[in-house]
Amino acid sequence: MKKEELLKFYNTYKIFIFPAVVSLCSLILIVFVIYPQIIKLIGNQKSLGDLTNKSEFLATKVSALESYNGEDLSKKVGLSLYSYPQDKDFGFVIGLLQNISSQSGYSIVSISLGDTSKADTSYTVKMELIGSSSLLPVLVSNIENSPRLMRVASLETSSKDTNSTNVALTVDVLYSPLPKSFGSDDSPLPSISADDEQVLTKISTAAPISGTQTIFSSSPRGKTNPFE
Amino acid sequence: MSNNISINLLPAEFTQKEIKREKFAHIQTAGIVVILFMVFLSSLTVALRILQSKNINLVQNQVALAQHQVSTLKDKQESLVILKNRLTAINQYLGTPSKQTSILLLLSKFLTPVSVNSISVDKTGDAIVIFTSPDSLTLDNLITNLMNKDVNGDQISSVSIDSLNRGRDGLYRVSLKIKAK
Repeated sequence: MKKEELLKFYNTYKIFIFPAVVSLCSLILIVFVIYPQIIKLIGNQKSLGDLTNKSEFLATKVSALESYNGEDLSKKVGLSLYSYPQDKDFGFVIGLLQNISSQSGYSIVSISLGDTSKADTSYTVKMELIGSSSLLPVLVSNIENSPRLMRVASLETSSKDTNSTNVALTVDVLYSPLPKSFGSDDSPLPSISADDEQVLTKISTAAPISGTQTIFSSSPRGKTNPFE
Repeated sequence: MSNNISINLLPAEFTQKEIKREKFAHIQTAGIVVILFMVFLSSLTVALRILQSKNINLVQNQVALAQHQVSTLKDKQESLVILKNRLTAINQYLGTPSKQTSILLLLSKFLTPVSVNSISVDKTGDAIVIFTSPDSLTLDNLITNLMNKDVNGDQISSVSIDSLNRGRDGLYRVSLKIKAK
């Protein structure tokens, strides 16, 4: 009885019921399938693009890293740390300054370390030297052009006669701790430019033994006979 | 001669029913087309999603592999970072004279005709020079040169005479204060 009634109802209003059912089905498909899938497609397309870019970047990074010679790289790092170390290298610097002084025609009367606790990027070395006043520019230039980074902070000269000059020299010796972060897998690689290569060449030609901090002074350290 | 005369003998209800049936058939066809289109669209989006997921998995695997390769080359990366960090700093200083050295080199160029007793260059680059000049002309030339921007390379901002004495020997004892730029 009910079925017959339903059929009769459908037959009477099928012109409205059928489109309504079709619309409802379409709406359900749109709401629950098509729209979410399209939204996800668009979203995933963006992440796929990002992932592809990341993959390409990493592949380039890998090939760039593989192109570096490990031995050569560590040698260069050694040279750069020789020039600008991570720590205070008092002994080495004193030896180097003695060497530079003697090469510039000066004798060291005294050498002392200044305040080493103030800054964390430099310490001072105070020197008293005797030599020809005409060689003072050579001495100062040699100190600043030394492969070990040093800057002349102040100087005082006093001439007793035309041949010899007393020089009181304060030198800032630069150092800096190593960077704390070496970059993540995704971080770009720093590029070594032509200027950087030139600097390395400059250091390597001036450095006594590349990558090591051994230098022996040949300058006079005092009187041979202190009672003379 | 023969005129076609069509006479509809069917009842009017039948005609209406037929029109209704035809109308419904149209609606039915359109409905089925719409439903089929929706099903096709749904299948297409699902298929595209499956393909996209496969692609994402593929690229994710490539990324993971590349990341692994990068982590095995971590030592080289660290070395490069240190090297760049050092070279950037070294590049700033190496071959670039400090203010103090520049002033001293400049002074040593101009002080050749006089006898220098003392030079003092402080941390700001300011200098005090005490010297003996044989005559006033030499002294005048020296100060003129020190003040000339073209000659001093625009490194000196001012030159002042702290003291000037002329001794019995005819020599000028001068104390110059030179302010660096």
